[in-house]
Amino acid sequence: MPTLNLPLTDTPSLLGGFDETLLESARKGEHALLQAKRTAAYDSYAQIPNPDRFHEEYRRMDPDLFKIATFSPLEIPETAAAYQAVPEDSNYDVVISVSSEGIAIEDCNGVLTDGSLVVMPLDQAAREHTTLLEQSLGAAMVPGEQRKFLDLNGAFWNVGFFIYAKKGVDLKGGILIRYHNDQAGTVLLPRLVVVAESLTRFAIAEQFTSPDDVKTLCISGRELLLDAAADVKLVSLQDWGNEGLHIGEDWARVKRDAKVNLFSMTVGGKVSKMTVGCDVCEPNANAYLGGMFFADRDQHFDQKTLQYHSSADTYSNMLYKGAVKDNGYSVYQGIIRALKNCVGVDSYQTNNNLVLDSTARADSLPGLIIDADELACSHGATFGNIDQEQLYYLRSRGIPEGEARRMLVMGFFDEVIERIPFENMQDHLHAVIERKFGV
Amino acid sequence: MAYLEIKNLHARTGDIKILKGVNLEINKGEVHALMGPNGSGKSTLSSVIMGHPDYEVTEGDILLNGESILEMDPDERALAGLFLCFQYPVAIPGVSISNFMKKAVDARHPEGKAPAGPFLKEMRENMDYLDMDKAFANRGLNEGFSGGEKKRMEILQMMMFKPSIAIMDETDSGLDIDALQVVAKGVNKMRGPELGLLVITHYERILTYIAPQFLHILMEGKVVMSGGPELVKKLEENGYDWVRDQLAATV
Repeated sequence: MPTLNLPLTDTPSLLGGFDETLLESARKGEHALLQAKRTAAYDSYAQIPNPDRFHEEYRRMDPDLFKIATFSPLEIPETAAAYQAVPEDSNYDVVISVSSEGIAIEDCNGVLTDGSLVVMPLDQAAREHTTLLEQSLGAAMVPGEQRKFLDLNGAFWNVGFFIYAKKGVDLKGGILIRYHNDQAGTVLLPRLVVVAESLTRFAIAEQFTSPDDVKTLCISGRELLLDAAADVKLVSLQDWGNEGLHIGEDWARVKRDAKVNLFSMTVGGKVSKMTVGCDVCEPNANAYLGGMFFADRDQHFDQKTLQYHSSADTYSNMLYKGAVKDNGYSVYQGIIRALKNCVGVDSYQTNNNLVLDSTARADSLPGLIIDADELACSHGATFGNIDQEQLYYLRSRGIPEGEARRMLVMGFFDEVIERIPFENMQDHLHAVIERKFGV
Repeated sequence: MAYLEIKNLHARTGDIKILKGVNLEINKGEVHALMGPNGSGKSTLSSVIMGHPDYEVTEGDILLNGESILEMDPDERALAGLFLCFQYPVAIPGVSISNFMKKAVDARHPEGKAPAGPFLKEMRENMDYLDMDKAFANRGLNEGFSGGEKKRMEILQMMMFKPSIAIMDETDSGLDIDALQVVAKGVNKMRGPELGLLVITHYERILTYIAPQFLHILMEGKVVMSGGPELVKKLEENGYDWVRDQLAATV
C-alpha cells in the first residue's frame, strides 16, 4: 500500500500558472533529453491531484499558504555571473552561486580539472553526459510514491545542476551551492541531480537566502543516487528572509554498503515544507536523516520524512530536533516503511521538540508501516520546555541561569548540528539559534 | 559561629512538610556524617541547602560564613562556596563535559574567563587521579554513564570547583566497592582545613573510607542525636530502633 499518495485524476490538476504554456516556454530551445524529461514530469504532475487541507499530509500545512499563483519564475540570465568570494568559501572545493544576476561556478581547488568530478549545469550535462543523465534525472524517487511538487519542479525547473563523482573520488572540502533570490514575486525552481559512483566520498551544501521583506517562493527538487560503498552528505540550509516560502523535496537511493546523510536545517523564511525520503535498497545500505527547525515569530515549518527499506539488512536513523516560540508552529510527520521479506532491518525515528512558550505549537506524527518480521524499528517523539532538573543541575554548578538555558538549547540542537560536515555552517546555525533564543 | 549554620530549618514541598526544625553546624576542616532512615529528610536537606526550586523554606535560616543564603539562587550559592554531590546526577546530552566544566570554572574566575591551558591541565590531572578515561571530556555530560562514572564525574567537579562546604548526597548508593574506593580517594584528597564536608548516607559502609569526626542522626525532619565516631559503631550494632528507644526514654 502506498504511503503518501492520493488517487490520480483524469482531468489535469494544475497549480497556479504552472500549465502547458509555461512548460513550452521552459522547453524552448532545450536539448531533446531535457524536453522529454520535462514532459514526462509534467504528465505525472498534472495527474496528481492538487493538495488540499483534507489530505492528511496537508491538514497541518494549508497549501494555500504558498500562494503559488502569485509567483512567476525567476529569470536567471544565461550569461555567467562574476564569482564573488565570501570568506566562508574557503571551506569548500567548489562554490556555485545562483541569483538574478546569473550563475557562477568557481573551482577553488582545481578539483574539476581531471574530469573525475563533474559539476555543471543540467543543460551542459544533457550534451556531455547524455546517457547518464537520461538514467538519473527523475530516477531517485521511491518506487510507487507520487510527489506533486517534485514533479512540478521536474517540469518547470529554472536552474539545475549535475554533480557526478567517478569511482573513488574523495573530496576534502565539498561543494556549496548558494541560492539568493532578491526579486519579489518570483519563484526559484532549483534541481539537483547527484550521481555517486562506488567508493566515492563527498559532501554538498545548499544554502537559500533572500532579503527580508521580499516575497519569494522556492520549489526545490534534489535527487541522489549512491552506488556501492559511496558516502555522500547533503546539507540543506533554508535560511530565507522573513517573507520566503519554501517547498523542498529530497530523495535518495542508496545501494549496497553505501551511506547517505541528508540534513535539512530550516531556520528562515515564513512557511516551509520539507520532504526528505530515502530508499535503502540493497543490503548494508545506510541512511542518516538529520533535521533541525526553529520556528518563531509566526513561522510555520513542516517536515516530512520517509525511510523506505526495500531490501533486507538495511539501516536508517532519523533524528529531527525542533524548537518553537513566539507563535511559531512546527510539524513533523514521518514514516518508516519496511517491505515484505526485508528481515534484518534496523531503523530509528526520533523527533524531539522544545516548546519554549505557550504561544507556540509543535505537532509530531511518527509512524511505522512494517510488512516483515525479524527486524528492529522504533520511533519516538518528545515535547517539553527546557528541562528544569537539567537547568537546576547547571545552576548548582555556578552557571548563571541565562547561560545555563543557552547551553541547554545549544546542546539540544548540537546532537544534529555537530554531525554537519561543514564547520562554517555549524557556526552559522549556532549564531541563528542565539539570535532566535534571544540571549 | 560555624561556617555553615543551619538554624531551626523548616521546609516543605507542596503541602508536605519534610524538615521540621533542623539544627546543624559545620566548620571548614570538619567532616560530618548525616544518617537516617528512608524518608527522614536527608536528601531534602541537601536540596534545600542548594536552593532547589521545588522546596520552600517556611521557618529558620541557613547561614554561610555568617550570611543568610535563603534569598540566593543556586548558582549564587555555588559561587559562594557550596557544592552538592548529587545522588542522581542528570544526563545532559549535547552539552560536552569539557564545555560544561569550562563554563563552570569560568563562572568562578575573577575575570569571568579561566585561561584554557591551566584549566585543561588541571582537568586532565584530576581525571587521571580518578582513573577516568580522558576521552570522557568530549562526551555528553553523564550521557550513557554507569552509576560509578556519574559519581566520579561529581567528584571531579568537586576537585575542580574547590568548594568550602561540600554535601555528598548518598554518593555511595549504587556503587560497587572499586568505584566507592575511587570516590573516597578523591574526597580524601580534598580533605583539609579549607573544606567542610557533610556526608549523607544510610549505610555505614562509606564512613569506613571517609572517616567522619561527627555523626548526626536525622529522623522525621529533625536532628535527633549527634555524637562522635563511637556513635557510628553503636548505630551499626543496634539500628535505628535503638535510636527510637533512646528518644522514647528521654521523653
